[in-house]
Amino acid sequence: MVPVLGRLLILLALLAASAGALVGFATGARPSEAGWAWARRLAYAFAALMALANLTMEYALLTHDFSVGYVAHVGSRSVPTWVSLVSLWSSLEGSILFWGLVMGAYIAIATWQNRFKYPEYMPYAVGVWLACGAFFSFLLAGPAQPFATVPGPPLDGPGPNPLLQNHHLMIIHPPFLYAGYVGMTIPFGLACAALLVGRLGHDFIRPLRNFLLLPWIFLTVAIVLGGWWAYEVLGWGGYWAWDPVENASFLPWLTATAALHSALLVERKGVLKGWTATLVIATFLLTILGTFMTRSGVFNSVHSFTQSAIGPTILVFLAAALLFAMALLTLRVDTLVPEGRLQTGPSRDAAFLVQNLLFVLFTFTVLLGTVFPLVVEAVRGVQMSVGRPYFDKLSVPIGVALLFVMGVGPALPWGRATKEQLRRALLPPLLTASALALLGFAAGVRNAWTALALFFGGFTAQVTLSEILLPVRQRMGSHGESVVQAFRQAQRRGRRRFGAYVVHAGAVLVIVAIAVSSTMGASKEIQLRAGETTSLGAYTVTFVDADRVVEPHRDSVRARMDVRKNGRSLGTLYPRMSRYERQRELIGTPAVRTSLTEDLYLSIQNIDLASRTVGLLVLVNPMVGWIWIATAVMALGGLIALVPAWRRETVVVRLPVPITSASAGGLR
Amino acid sequence: MPVTSTAGAAVARATRFNPRVLAAGAAFVVPLLILLALNLRRDPHAVRSPLIGRPAPAFSLAPVGGGAQVSLETLRGRPAVINFWATWCVPCLEEHAALRAAARHQRDVQFLGIVYEDEEARTQAFLQNRSSSYPSLMDPEGRTAIAYGVFGVPETFFIDAGGRIVEKYVGPLDARAIAALVARARDGAP
Repeated sequence: MVPVLGRLLILLALLAASAGALVGFATGARPSEAGWAWARRLAYAFAALMALANLTMEYALLTHDFSVGYVAHVGSRSVPTWVSLVSLWSSLEGSILFWGLVMGAYIAIATWQNRFKYPEYMPYAVGVWLACGAFFSFLLAGPAQPFATVPGPPLDGPGPNPLLQNHHLMIIHPPFLYAGYVGMTIPFGLACAALLVGRLGHDFIRPLRNFLLLPWIFLTVAIVLGGWWAYEVLGWGGYWAWDPVENASFLPWLTATAALHSALLVERKGVLKGWTATLVIATFLLTILGTFMTRSGVFNSVHSFTQSAIGPTILVFLAAALLFAMALLTLRVDTLVPEGRLQTGPSRDAAFLVQNLLFVLFTFTVLLGTVFPLVVEAVRGVQMSVGRPYFDKLSVPIGVALLFVMGVGPALPWGRATKEQLRRALLPPLLTASALALLGFAAGVRNAWTALALFFGGFTAQVTLSEILLPVRQRMGSHGESVVQAFRQAQRRGRRRFGAYVVHAGAVLVIVAIAVSSTMGASKEIQLRAGETTSLGAYTVTFVDADRVVEPHRDSVRARMDVRKNGRSLGTLYPRMSRYERQRELIGTPAVRTSLTEDLYLSIQNIDLASRTVGLLVLVNPMVGWIWIATAVMALGGLIALVPAWRRETVVVRLPVPITSASAGGLR
Repeated sequence: MPVTSTAGAAVARATRFNPRVLAAGAAFVVPLLILLALNLRRDPHAVRSPLIGRPAPAFSLAPVGGGAQVSLETLRGRPAVINFWATWCVPCLEEHAALRAAARHQRDVQFLGIVYEDEEARTQAFLQNRSSSYPSLMDPEGRTAIAYGVFGVPETFFIDAGGRIVEKYVGPLDARAIAALVARARDGAP
């Protein structure tokens, strides 16, 4: 019964999406009120059907209905309810179903928000979105069917991948990732619409930018949550391994970040329109490439879902999307006529350009390293992997260069800068730059790249802070307002700008924290018997005892570790090794004590309860906590920049006649 | 003020062909697609089992529901098919009928199931409901599964009359695959 209902909902969603895509394109080519109304209805219908299909699956998961193929595959009676709930995205078919839910939600919101606006563009955009929606519905209807009927259902199932049951971060990492990944469909549709219409002006860049910013925020958080999860769960002590699938999430982030910046030039100067559209389209294509990497079984990684039949199908979609994008850009990119000129010479314009080129360079570097093993295997037939040295060697200089541009760019004026302006803009930040570099040197930094990161980090931090405070000081000077008043006023008037600089502040912190944590840590691996003590830096760790903890879904051996720093007790940490129900391999869960300056990280390599010995990996990782904090700052900055833009646009919609906004010209 | 879309039904700008964009796109897109397509056939998890061509690891296990222990020694002299499975594994249920039929028709080949991470009572109930034409053995500590390097179920090992592993098959079997692999176990060619 449930499988049939689920399949029916999927088929209806496929129908709604396909019909909506056709209606959208037809209405874009020959505008009509009725066509647009139908395109909207079908978009809402697609979203509603996807939501219902997801609810149906959740119902099946929670009621342990093993006649549903997906539930028989990942469900288990012995797991806690929250695990059953999140099993929706723990395996291939369910994750595609969840993808459909997120996509439907995005499409519905984007359609609803712009239902009275951009009448030439929106039907095309809805057409593109629903074409993507149709593809994912097709996946769910055929190659990755979650609602297959299981004849003679089993009494119990194996439960989801134990790694996913191991940490609560797994509840939020995938949804954030999907919200970021899937959300890139929306700007893609808008960019395609701009190309099809042949105009990307001052007005239409706004929804494009906002719908790029929203998934960008999610993606930023998701990437870092993934790193955090790896750090807290996988037990090797790091947060980023340049795993193909980590790269898959990082690649669209890079192009999206570049596009967010070039969109500013479109808005301010009317230049780089085709380039911005290309970046947005590339972002979407990279999300599909990433999906292919994770779901096809071509790449091996922590994330790869088992061999599945959907690889070829996603490849066909990727090929179709690539060819469509190529044709669209080839035929239409010259219709986006620039309305201004970019300044050459030292200026903020040039900094934007350099920033964009660096991000694109970064994208190609990571992409090359990710697909290179495939090239080697295709050509020479040997398996190989591109290791961290390649990525580290190339990404560190690019990251430091980006830090530099992030400091110099905002310090420079728009247009051409005079020598005097340059001197006044660039000299004062050298103060904080030198101070931070010296501080680092005093704290023991000897690595040149880390020192450089600190230097540029200090430079950029000062520029960013003074840019945040500049309007406040101006208001205090000219309006005679108090600090608080001026801050609130300035912030209200320039919230987008304010938000952007908050993001920059977070980004500086992330880069510095990565530089410090990856070069300034200490580690040691040791075999301990009960009662023995080891020390690393200021920490001493005593292995007190080991005991066994039995829970319904797992059976763990826990080591009790007394931790002291400089002789003062910090309490007890419990790294553990668990065996999950119906799974063969043992899974270690490290114990981490986080503080603002550094983390103490204990991970069990092996443990024997009988002889009470433990093989322990001890790490001291400085500043890792700041990566998580700074990411929250970046996300907050993104929200600050996003929210007022939407509020303002909503106000425009609610205005009674006459409507003055140029973009609402098509209204009746 | 830049040009904005003021008219709702404005005509789209005329298409202009840009060969440079096409060339740049094609130079990047075509090789990438070919590369990905070439690699589709590859299975990163397919690590060729080091056991192939080697003597099958010995075991001595009790059948589901109790009875005399069955050991690898007792199988010597004829080809064997050892299938690791569990009742909670859906693909195992799919292949069950094919294995049952094959075991019934190929009397000169010994088929054996080894239960992977499952409870005896549940397994017994399943075997009674679905019937089976060959014994399934309990592997309580999972030692045999470890010895055979079982990653996940179903995994099936084809062993020749001399006790060497000829092939390992991962995933659900169908009648045709069973016939082909059993033929190879008969020939004893890895």
